[in-house]
Amino acid sequence: MTRAEMRQMLIDWLDDHYHFGEAEAKIGHDDASFLDNGVLDSLGFVALVVHLEDRFHITIDRKNLNRENFDSVNKILAYLEARTGGAS
Amino acid sequence: MTADERPVFVPDPDVAARSQMADFLATCARETGNTFDGWPAFSRWSAACWRDFWRLFVQWAAPEVEGDAEPVCEGDAIETATFFPGLRLSYAGNLLREIPGREDAVALVARDESGRRVEWTRRALRARVEAAARGLRAAGIGPGDHVVAIARNDDAAIVACLAATGLGATWSSIGPDQGPESVLARFRQLDPCLLFTAGSHPYQGASRPLVDKLHAVVEGLPTVRRLVSLDGDVEALRGLPPPVTTLAALEAGGAALPAFPWPRVPFNHPLFVMFSSGTTGAPKCIVHGVGGTLLEHLKEQRLHSDFRSGDRLLFTTSCGWMMWNWQLSALASDTAIVAYDGSPTFPTPDALWRVVADERATVFGTSPAFLQYCRDTALVPREAADLSCLRAVQSTGSVLSDRLYDWVAENVGSLPLQSISGGTDILGCFVLGNPLLPVHRGEAQSVSLGLDVRSLRPPDAPAEAVGELVCCNPFPSRPLGLHADPDGARFHAAYFAQNEGLWTHGDFVVLTRHGGARILGRSDGVMNIRGIRIGPAEIYAILLDVPEVRLAMAVEQIAPEEPGGTRLVLLLVLRDGVVLDRPLTLRIKKEISRRASMVHVPALVVAVDDLPATHNGKMSERAARDAVNGRQPANLQALRNPGCLEALRSHPELGGRFAERGA
Repeated sequence: MTRAEMRQMLIDWLDDHYHFGEAEAKIGHDDASFLDNGVLDSLGFVALVVHLEDRFHITIDRKNLNRENFDSVNKILAYLEARTGGAS
Repeated sequence: MTADERPVFVPDPDVAARSQMADFLATCARETGNTFDGWPAFSRWSAACWRDFWRLFVQWAAPEVEGDAEPVCEGDAIETATFFPGLRLSYAGNLLREIPGREDAVALVARDESGRRVEWTRRALRARVEAAARGLRAAGIGPGDHVVAIARNDDAAIVACLAATGLGATWSSIGPDQGPESVLARFRQLDPCLLFTAGSHPYQGASRPLVDKLHAVVEGLPTVRRLVSLDGDVEALRGLPPPVTTLAALEAGGAALPAFPWPRVPFNHPLFVMFSSGTTGAPKCIVHGVGGTLLEHLKEQRLHSDFRSGDRLLFTTSCGWMMWNWQLSALASDTAIVAYDGSPTFPTPDALWRVVADERATVFGTSPAFLQYCRDTALVPREAADLSCLRAVQSTGSVLSDRLYDWVAENVGSLPLQSISGGTDILGCFVLGNPLLPVHRGEAQSVSLGLDVRSLRPPDAPAEAVGELVCCNPFPSRPLGLHADPDGARFHAAYFAQNEGLWTHGDFVVLTRHGGARILGRSDGVMNIRGIRIGPAEIYAILLDVPEVRLAMAVEQIAPEEPGGTRLVLLLVLRDGVVLDRPLTLRIKKEISRRASMVHVPALVVAVDDLPATHNGKMSERAARDAVNGRQPANLQALRNPGCLEALRSHPELGGRFAERGA
C-alpha cells in the first residue's frame, strides 16, 4: 500500500466513524494534532488502533499508543510505514 | 470445579457478618420466627412474603415518614398495586436529614475534567438546597409542576433537582450531549414550566457551548416560563423569550426568605419522570413515585451495596441516565457523592482512576465499555493510582463479559465486581450485588430482595436456559404510570401485555445455579450499544427527511471485532433507482449525529431489498435482529415476507460474518 493509499484509508475511517465526510476539513493539515483539534478523543484512538491492527495484521503495543505515534496524519503514516515496511 | 467455575471473589466472613444485609436478615429472622437457612431461603421468603418484607424493611431502614404503614400494599395485581397509601414523606428531606456528628462531613464533591473541584458538607449542601427551594417557591414552583434540565453531572444539577422535587415538582433531566430533537422529543411531552440548563460542557479538553441547541430547545417548549442557568452563563440564554435567572441568584434570593420544613407528600406522589428509548414512537415518559424510589434505592444501596456513613460513591453517569437519579439517593445512607463530569479518559487514559484515588472513593460505578477500554489500553489502575480505599466496583449498562471479572481482579484489586442491572423503567435493579455472596464470572450476585424475578423459558428448557426476565409480584418502584396515559393503556402495552399479569422487562436473563443472574441483552426492539439504550424510532424520525430512503430498520448486531460488544446496523430499503453510495451513507450518518447524537450513528449502513413485516404491516425488528445475529427467528408464520430474512443472513456485510465464525 502506498502512502497515499494509507492516507486515504485513514481519512475514510475517520469519515465513517466520526466526521461523516468532513474529516479532511477537520484535520486541516497533516501535521495538525488530532487531540488538540478534536479529530479524535482518547476512546477514538483506541478504536483506531484496533482498526489498524486488523487492517494491517499487526499488533500495536499499547505503550506506543501516545501522541508521538498517533496524534496526526503524518505521525500515524510514519508509524505504519515503519511497522509495515511501507506496504501491507 | 474448573478454574472458570471458581468464584472470582469471596467475601471476608467477618466483613459479611458486619454487613447491613446480615443485620437485616437477622432482624427478619427474629421478627418472623424463621431461621432462613442460607441466602436462597431468605431471598425466597422476601419474594413470597413481600408484604412482610417491605413492612420490616421500612421499620429497619427507618426513613423519615409520617402516617400509617398499614396497609403495606392495596391490591395484589402488579399493574395496579398501591404501596403504603397511608404514608407521607419528603425525598429531599430524607436525603438531607440532619445526622448528629456528621453535619460537617463532606456529602458532595463535584469535579470535572478541567480540574474544577468543589465540595459541600452535609450542612452546607442542605443550606444550598433549602435556599434554592425557597427561591423556586417564590417563583411559583410547586406540586404538579414539571421541571426539566439540560445539565452536567455536577453540584448545581443536584441542588436544583433536590430543591425542585423537595417542593413536590417532578424532575426530568438530559445530558448536554443530546441533540435538540432528542431533547424536544422528551421534554415537549411534559409541558414543563421551568428549564434549568448549563451553558456549556467540557469534553476532551474543550468547552462545548450549548447556545445553538438551547435556542432550538426553548423555541420548541412554549410552556417554559422561566429559564435558570445552572452555571451562570446567561449569555447562552440571551435573546430567548422567557425570563432568565441563575441558580446562584435563586439561592441568594431564597436565603433571605423564611425557612419552611420540607412538605411531606403522599408515598405515591410523582418524583422523577424518566424517558424510555422510544422503540415504536416518541420516548415514553415514565413517572416514578417519591416513596417507591426512596425505598427501592435504600434497599439496593444499604442492603445490596452496603452503603453507610463514610462511604464515597463515584458513579460515572450523565444527567440523562437513571444512574444519576440512583446516585442521589446515596445521601439517604449518609454516603457522599463524588460527581464527575467530562471525559473519563482526559487528559490521560487513567484520569478517572486518579479521581477515584484522589477522592478516596469506596465504591466506583462504571460500565463494561469503560472497563473494556481500560483493558484494551493495557491500563493497570492499581499501579496508576492508590486505590486502597476502594472496596467495590459496580458495573451496569450492558453485558459484562467474563474476562472483565478477571481483568478487574488482576488490575484493580481483590474486591467484588458487582454487575447490576435493571433500568429506567423501575429506576432500580432486578439483579445486583450482595455482600454475603461470592462473585462468579459473568454473573450478578443475586436477585434483588423482595422481587420475584424469574426467567420465562421455553417449555422443557433446562433451568439455566435463556428466558425473558419477568417479575411476578408487586414492587414499590413500579412506575406510577406513563405521563399522558389516563387509562393506562400504553403502560399496560409496555410492560404487561406480553405476559398478562407479569412485569415483562425486555431483557434476556439466565438465573444461575449460584443464585445469581446473567443478563444477556435486550429482548425487545431497544438497542443497547456500549451501555446506552437507543430506541430505533428516533432514528426513523430522522430518516423521514432523507428522501432516498423508503424503509428503514435499526437493529443491534454482535460485533465480531469486540468480544461481548454489539454494534448498531441500519438496514435500508431505498427508493427505485437509488444506490447506497458512500456520499449517501455519510450524509445519513451525519444527519443522525447532528439531530440525535453520536451514539445513534450506525456502525454499518446496508441496503436490502425488503425488511420483515407482520401480516398487518408492522415491521419486525426482532426478526431482523435474529437474522443478522445468525439466530433462527421465532414465529416465522407471523411474517408476511419471511423470505427476506435469508437475504439478511446471507448478506455479505451481515450474514457472511456468521459463516466466517461458524456461528
